[in-house]
Amino acid sequence: MEIAVCVTLVPDTASVIGFRDGALDTSRISEVLNPYDEYALEEALLMRERQGDATVRVFSVAPASKKPLLQKALAMGADRLVIVEGPESCDPWQTASILREAFRAVYGEAVPELVLCGRESTDFRSGEVPGMLATLLGVPSLSGVTKLEAAPDGTLRLEREIEGGLERFEARLPILLSAEKGLNTPRKTSMKGVMEARKKPVEVLSARDVPEPRVSLESLRPAERHKECRMAGDVRELVRLLRKGEVL
Amino acid sequence: MGRHLVFLEQREGRLKDASLDLLSRVREMAGLRGEGPIAAVLAGPVDEGMLPAAAGTLYHAADPSLGLYGREPYAALVEEAVRREGAAEVYFAEGALSADLAPLLSVRLRAALLGGCGGPDGCLRPVYSGAALAGFRPDAEIRIHSVASSAGRQERGGGEPMRVVELPVSAGADPGPVLRELVMRVGLADVGEARVVVAGGRGVGGAEGFRLLEELASLLGGAVGASRAAVDLGWRPHAEQVGQTGRSVSADLYIACGVSGAVQHLAGIARAGTVVAINTDPHAPIFAVADYGFVADLHTALPAFIEAVRELRK
Ligand SMILES: Cc1cc2nc3c(=O)[nH]c(=O)nc-3n(C[C@H](O)[C@H](O)[C@H](O)COP(=O)(O)OP(=O)(O)OC[C@H]3O[C@@H](n4cnc5c(N)ncnc54)[C@H](O)[C@@H]3O)c2cc1C
Repeated sequence: MEIAVCVTLVPDTASVIGFRDGALDTSRISEVLNPYDEYALEEALLMRERQGDATVRVFSVAPASKKPLLQKALAMGADRLVIVEGPESCDPWQTASILREAFRAVYGEAVPELVLCGRESTDFRSGEVPGMLATLLGVPSLSGVTKLEAAPDGTLRLEREIEGGLERFEARLPILLSAEKGLNTPRKTSMKGVMEARKKPVEVLSARDVPEPRVSLESLRPAERHKECRMAGDVRELVRLLRKGEVL
Repeated sequence: MGRHLVFLEQREGRLKDASLDLLSRVREMAGLRGEGPIAAVLAGPVDEGMLPAAAGTLYHAADPSLGLYGREPYAALVEEAVRREGAAEVYFAEGALSADLAPLLSVRLRAALLGGCGGPDGCLRPVYSGAALAGFRPDAEIRIHSVASSAGRQERGGGEPMRVVELPVSAGADPGPVLRELVMRVGLADVGEARVVVAGGRGVGGAEGFRLLEELASLLGGAVGASRAAVDLGWRPHAEQVGQTGRSVSADLYIACGVSGAVQHLAGIARAGTVVAINTDPHAPIFAVADYGFVADLHTALPAFIEAVRELRK
């Protein structure tokens, strides 16, 4: 069984997102695997453990220089890593198209039985690449999965949260799923895992025939979040302030 | 033929408020630009008297088989409505459905997908945990907008019901995942949709302590939210988590109790209206993004606050 996991790198949320001369100051940003992608990878590893005979291949559109960071996926237990170098872009359509081509380069016309992605990347939060990739691959998909159970007959039972409730689905392979927090608890990397990761195969491809972007970044500016906080001395004053502000 | 087409979402026969708000916003925008009337598309049967009042055409596939969400049949329906209407701008209220359906449609329609936009007019979205605001420019003949709801009520406006055009169901070859069961929570509102959210963090001290927050939330007709710490400790379900790896709120009033205000938490409240913070630590970062603050132990402050609100409601 072939399992593909698509991952990306995002700024560590602990790092300072600052601006210098009107542009994002990247000097103080350190990158990590997108947290949602760790849920996706963990689910792939669980599936491999259940299946026995499965290969987990991780794909990432990133510069080859990011290999050391992406190797974390191998340290967690993935079998192979494919890095696809492409133009720097924040257009999900371009990213999905590049991934589609990379799948073709690796799998030919066949499509992996299971493709897992994170629900969204925590930097731009578009959450669009998984659904676009599924459509390009011609496989069904479901976004934001919080529970996955594989029945012996191959049926998948899936759950996802919606506004005010949850949905339970039944599906079959092949399928592309995007992972939501709650799906599982990603394993930690061990020293042994890190050592082994260095010996695992890493392929570097370069994206060709990248389509024109359909959405581009027009502006990026710091958000003004600071507010003038009016402090209340006791509950009565709090209520009075809130009434005055027409909040209550 | 209208330029603007709004997808209306129903669950269990009821149209979602977020969809109706969006319809009003798009109608108002189209009116101002002289581009009305607008059109809408709806999958599945709805209760009597639910159809919105707005000039324009409603493409409706009322077949009961569309009552529950299905990616392929819903996509086929929207494609058909876009084609018949010749629409160039398609709108979804951002949520679980748009997250699943809009990317698929954007590929099929060769459309630019503008996700998580602040309004139907232009696309601004908080990025990098809310530290920055990004503007996006589409470049395609058809544009799909998934619009986040935001603080502030929308006037619905009355008038004639829409002109209904019945559409048949066109089932695709492979329906994909089949929705077997929809389980709606009863009781409190949804944290992402509620007008008032009472959120608790580690400072609440345990699952029991959230009773107070529930009481205040139900008194204000709102929802309970939680920090990741509170969720990871098992005090609240993940569906209530607010923040970068949780939900984004669009409440007019956000009351944070025992929440420190970590950047990842603040990512979820970038679009909230008034923020009130109750915290024992006067230096908690939450106060820097709050409109009103009260340095106090929530276990004594909340009961008194609840009492005061009760008095007001009398
Ligand atoms: C990748 C990543 C993603 C994350 N995503 C999210 C997310 O989506 N949402 C989220 O919330 N967090 C998220 N976090 C976690 C975040 O960094 C914080 O750890 C978390 O928000 C802290 O929760 P808290 O404010 O409840 O707890 P704490 O930071 O421990 O704060 C508790 C607060 O309660 C106050 N307090 C204590 N006792 C009382 C009392 N009796 N009365 C009043 N106040 C009291 C304290 O003064 C303190 O300010 C994420 C972290 C990472 C690394």
